[in-house]
Amino acid sequence: MNIPQTLILGLVLGGVYALMASGVTLLFGVMRIVNLAHGVFMLLAAYGAFFLFTEWGFDPFLSLIVTMPSMFIFGMVIHRFLFPRLEGSDRYSEMTVLLTFGLALVLEGLLGFFFTGIFRSTSPAYATESILLGDLFIPKGQLYGAVASVVLLLALGALLGYTKIGHAIQATSQNRTAAQTVGVNVSRVSTFAFGVGMALAGAAGSLMSYLFTFFPGQHWQWIAILLSLIVLGGMGSIRGAIVGALLLAVLAGFVSNAFGATWSPMTFYLALFVILLIRPEGLFGEKEAV
Amino acid sequence: MLLELDNVSAGYGGGPDIVDELSLEVEEGRTYCMIGPNGAGKSTVLKLIGGILAPRSGSIGFHGHEVGGLRPDQLLQRGICLVPQDPSLFTKMSVRKNLMMGAYLESDRSVARDRLDEIFSMFPILADKERQPAGTLSGGQQQILLLARALMIRPAFMMIDEPSLGLAPQAADQVFEIIAELKSLGITLLLVEQSVERGLAVSDWAFVLDLGQKRFEGPSDQILADPRIRELYMGKAPTVE
Repeated sequence: MNIPQTLILGLVLGGVYALMASGVTLLFGVMRIVNLAHGVFMLLAAYGAFFLFTEWGFDPFLSLIVTMPSMFIFGMVIHRFLFPRLEGSDRYSEMTVLLTFGLALVLEGLLGFFFTGIFRSTSPAYATESILLGDLFIPKGQLYGAVASVVLLLALGALLGYTKIGHAIQATSQNRTAAQTVGVNVSRVSTFAFGVGMALAGAAGSLMSYLFTFFPGQHWQWIAILLSLIVLGGMGSIRGAIVGALLLAVLAGFVSNAFGATWSPMTFYLALFVILLIRPEGLFGEKEAV
Repeated sequence: MLLELDNVSAGYGGGPDIVDELSLEVEEGRTYCMIGPNGAGKSTVLKLIGGILAPRSGSIGFHGHEVGGLRPDQLLQRGICLVPQDPSLFTKMSVRKNLMMGAYLESDRSVARDRLDEIFSMFPILADKERQPAGTLSGGQQQILLLARALMIRPAFMMIDEPSLGLAPQAADQVFEIIAELKSLGITLLLVEQSVERGLAVSDWAFVLDLGQKRFEGPSDQILADPRIRELYMGKAPTVE
């Protein structure tokens, strides 16, 4: 087994996973929404990027300027119309699981109707090129994806850490009632945060369009992977999602090398079970008060 | 009249009314205390005035304008501030950031920074710990931070729910010294306090609530001396003289 090579491949892929998972964990942290539709939102953006690539020759990275704002607006509209009906429910998080499950089914059906079940992928030149470093290689596509993910995650960090709306998102995430008492309009902040989560799904979809082949029903596989990443990191923790993504992507790389590629996805599902059994609050999460 | 509740009823979800056709009046510049047994609806009244809970019926007037059903941020802009009973600090944020969140509605950041300096000179203990996460402060310090954070917006009317709950006697003394200071600043205060004697001692006027309704009201010293109230709500038999 070539350990440095496996590490490199795991880390660059983990960077992209971190971007994908950050949107899911942001929504849970701020609004206690368990968004099972995140995978299908990513696919929606991936199909958008695919359409822009095949029809107008848009590079997947260039498609970010379309997928991110459009998913941001789409996300805010969805939040505004669907989620206020659940607010006030004692079982809000559980209700969001059901709502987003239904939403995922509807969107999957629509994607299947418009794009059929054929495997799709964009094919920019760099998707199949590599940078050689002696005996090691770094696939250009994955490296560019990881760099873009790091840039976007830094931008997310700057938004949360240095802007007024970012402070309001953090405050709402830590204590919703307290945020209300200092004057944060938590309803508006939640809608904005949902939009940000969807913009991250939009960015992930654009990158996904050339990194992986995709089809409408594939989002279930993605959401299972994303849930394992954020459960490992601690639900609601963006730092945890990043660490979880890097750890599991590297681990999946080693499993793939040792036992074959078909076992790689099993790493995430097994990790999900093991984490829930051993440390349900994850690496950076807080224990539930009893 | 600063605040006027007229036949207000409210409850949670589809449950029964916790506040039942309550009417009360609050004058500017005075300190009020609301007492009553557990489940009387005292905290619910504060949530109702603070916009955390919407009234089912009745009206809430502030400076003569209807404010019932407004959001907390809209009420804060009108000068109504609630310091809730639940742990309501942003525990992972520093003391400084918690205080700056108190001035969230202040659009001029330089004004917010000036107020922060004022708060630090009023509460040196907070200045000493400004970089520390709020969750690492002691219970008494956390309560001081909560009160200080509420002051960042310069409220005209401040409601404080159970300020001494869970505090050691010394920390509770410190919190009540601060409440006396708030009073001297001319802020109209409405307290809900489990230590009835303490709450009545610091206030000018008291409301006695039971089952969501106002049973009595009057000057705090008279309420404190009333044997019926001592027996019913303070668990003490009337003294025979």
